[in-house]
Amino acid sequence: MAPNFDLYLRRDTAIHRLDPRVKLAFVVDATLLTFLWPSIGTAATMIGVCVVGFWRARIPAAHVTRIFRLVAPLMVMVFALTAIFGQGTGEVWIAVGPLAVTANSLTRGALLALRLLALATIAFLWLFTTDQATMVRGFVALGLPYEWGLTLALALRYLPLFAALFEQVRDAQQARGLDLEQQSFRGRLQAYRPVLIALMISALRNSEHLGWALEARALGAQGVRRSTFRPLHLRPNDVIALAILGAAFCAGIALRVL
Amino acid sequence: MPPDIHIHNLFYAYPPLREGDEAVPVLNGINLQIARGEFVALLGRVGAGKTTLCLALNGLAPHATGGVFRGDVTILGQNTKRCTVPDLARSVGLVFQDPESQIVQMRVEDEVAFGCENLGIAPAEIAERVAWALAAVGLSDYRERSSLLLSGGEKQRVAIAAMLAMRPQVLVLDEPTASLDPAGKSAVFRVLAELRDRHEMTIVMATQELERIVRFADRVVVLHEGQIGLDGPPQEVFSQVARLQEWGIGAPQMAELGQLLTQRTGRPHRFITVADAYHDLRRQARKLHLDRLRKPSPDAPSRRVSHPADRPQIAVRAISHVYPDGAVALKNVSLEISPGEFVALLGPNGSGKTTLAKHLNGLLKPTTGSVCVEGRDTRTTRIAALARLVGYAFQNPDHQIFAPTVQEEIAFGPRMQELPRAIVAQRVAEALERFRLIPYADLPPALLGFGQRRQVALAAIIAAQPMTLILDEPTGGLDWRSQQEFMEVVAGFHTLGRTVVLITHDMRLVAEYATRAVVLLAGEVLFDGTPQDLFSRPEVLDQAGLALPPVTRLARRLDKYGIAADILTLAQFAAAWHARLTARARRKPNRSTGGVLGRPRREAPRPKGRVLSRSKDEAQGQHGA
Repeated sequence: MAPNFDLYLRRDTAIHRLDPRVKLAFVVDATLLTFLWPSIGTAATMIGVCVVGFWRARIPAAHVTRIFRLVAPLMVMVFALTAIFGQGTGEVWIAVGPLAVTANSLTRGALLALRLLALATIAFLWLFTTDQATMVRGFVALGLPYEWGLTLALALRYLPLFAALFEQVRDAQQARGLDLEQQSFRGRLQAYRPVLIALMISALRNSEHLGWALEARALGAQGVRRSTFRPLHLRPNDVIALAILGAAFCAGIALRVL
Repeated sequence: MPPDIHIHNLFYAYPPLREGDEAVPVLNGINLQIARGEFVALLGRVGAGKTTLCLALNGLAPHATGGVFRGDVTILGQNTKRCTVPDLARSVGLVFQDPESQIVQMRVEDEVAFGCENLGIAPAEIAERVAWALAAVGLSDYRERSSLLLSGGEKQRVAIAAMLAMRPQVLVLDEPTASLDPAGKSAVFRVLAELRDRHEMTIVMATQELERIVRFADRVVVLHEGQIGLDGPPQEVFSQVARLQEWGIGAPQMAELGQLLTQRTGRPHRFITVADAYHDLRRQARKLHLDRLRKPSPDAPSRRVSHPADRPQIAVRAISHVYPDGAVALKNVSLEISPGEFVALLGPNGSGKTTLAKHLNGLLKPTTGSVCVEGRDTRTTRIAALARLVGYAFQNPDHQIFAPTVQEEIAFGPRMQELPRAIVAQRVAEALERFRLIPYADLPPALLGFGQRRQVALAAIIAAQPMTLILDEPTGGLDWRSQQEFMEVVAGFHTLGRTVVLITHDMRLVAEYATRAVVLLAGEVLFDGTPQDLFSRPEVLDQAGLALPPVTRLARRLDKYGIAADILTLAQFAAAWHARLTARARRKPNRSTGGVLGRPRREAPRPKGRVLSRSKDEAQGQHGA
């Protein structure tokens, strides 16, 4: 079984239907706002907005909790490190030698940890609701050259295949008696060599065929301006969403500066 | 009207593998014209140049492959030498063997639209074409599906639709069904036949599917030694059974039967389909009133059924397997495999065959239940240790091959077992000889042809001398001769008293080699018994999408005339038919038996030359005269 790299969850909701450029604008907007206000409140609000987003996009709770599980170790680490080494002012709670945990460093730790979580939820809201082809089309519409977009799309397309290939090759080599369950790191690294060689050979074969397949599909036909099957159009909902994002951003700047 | 495809004196050689080597021609003087609306099947051994010819039809050879190219290939009036591949794509669509490496988008409709976008077609028209192309391959409901989640057959149909959307007149397919299950194969062939009938498309298909060619193709072109060896309608080409066998290509089973019966009875029998064979043999049976003869007493079970040993080789006890993503692949499967059994593991793609097989050597651990290999629980034994007991040949030999030379590849397994050097060397020498790999001993295996790479992978596994051998669809993409050579080695391994587990869709292999058939469906055991039992259970076959081998189907239909319905192989059929004729000749000694047996009996008791199916039964003569 190939590990699943496709995070997109096919649904028919208003959020799913938004133009990929609007969703990208949301990611940028939300990230900037999170960093503009160094307060726990902003980060928490952003997480709240995203959770509402998950709910409206009908993303199952299991997927949402998976993000938390993914980020939690990092959050704990950031919180602990900032709290211990943050050297903030304010009431000292615990002091060991030169290290002191202060109220200030604790708040900063919490802020950083929450920001991390906010960033993760923002990114996943985007990834869960935008399929890869649309995402790439969004980038291309924003000016990324088509070849780059295609390369990105192919990379995304072949990542799961490559992972599956790796598994198959590993299984195949183990079935021949290759011992990959060794204890030492070096031993394991050494043992994986045949796997990597077979993987490279198979991958090279695949990539040659892929090149042929692309040519056979008229990629690079001379004197042709490439057309787009599903061109992106900003619909009323997209415009409204953009307006809201713009307003939120301006308000954020205004409140911060004034 | 000029032909759609015109090939004139085509000569092609790939660039040599090593510097200084001479380029060996793959195609050596090909002349071929293919008219509009023809469905041409391209036959030939692995390495005969079928793929190269396909690549030459859309210009990939020589534009992408390099090498030496002489002569002319003209498609709809365009000379491929003077056009680029993308420009030729408007006239020729090319579908490759591997569905994975030709699908470039994540969503089915995007995939189908991709070629049109590259041709700069207006979005409204692309939408029309996408709808049409998906309808043509019967996948209209699949527009928004993820292309990662399709079955192999569906992927190939999407690949065909992607070509169709570019509206080419000519469609070239390079073994598109080699990795598909029977249902997937049928779907692809049906789509192609419809494209020819409805849209007058010109179709060229390289393939090894002899049985299906008979039903679908208008014309068969056989490549042999870089040239066109035979060219004509299937009836005509497949009547040359002896020559096709000599060339290693083989013929449909009924054509082989015709030849065998001709040899045995001296009376000419020419047919290539079960229907033809049935009519031909029924006519004779009626003439001779074979239905009035006493039916032969039913035979004892003909296949050696192994007796349950004290300790099974492999014991699978009530296992279930759930993948991390929650997919349930096996449900409460129990199986005891005794030493010396030849088990065929059958079922449609996705039924859990490979998952089950991977439990037998510990690559997968059961979620519940247990698997014991020679008494060792796979949950607590290292895979490397189990690999000494169970050899596993994967579907794709390239996944197992990595060493710099064939010799070292074969030595890998024995070396992993830490055997003394002398023994390793001896095993390598034996394997090289048995697999006819001596000339390639010092070459990198990755540079050999597909059939040879498969032999190297098997040689490497057998050199480790496991007690059990698991083969995962080993014959896909192999030609008749390579398949025979491969199965000969497997049969040789089996006669040593060792155990074989064969995952396959090829019912001929099941009929000729297996002592036991296990059918999986949706992760559960649907059937477990002898091949004969399986073949007499139409409901099981139906459910699992399996078809009887042609010879068994024929025997069924001739049941009334005293042919045992549980016949599995050509040799059995020929023997049974001969026995009927002999019985008839004995009953009416006064009538002219010359018309019955053709020649005095002593001359034709056994077929001459290479026996087509080397089943153990024939040697035992249980169905014999």
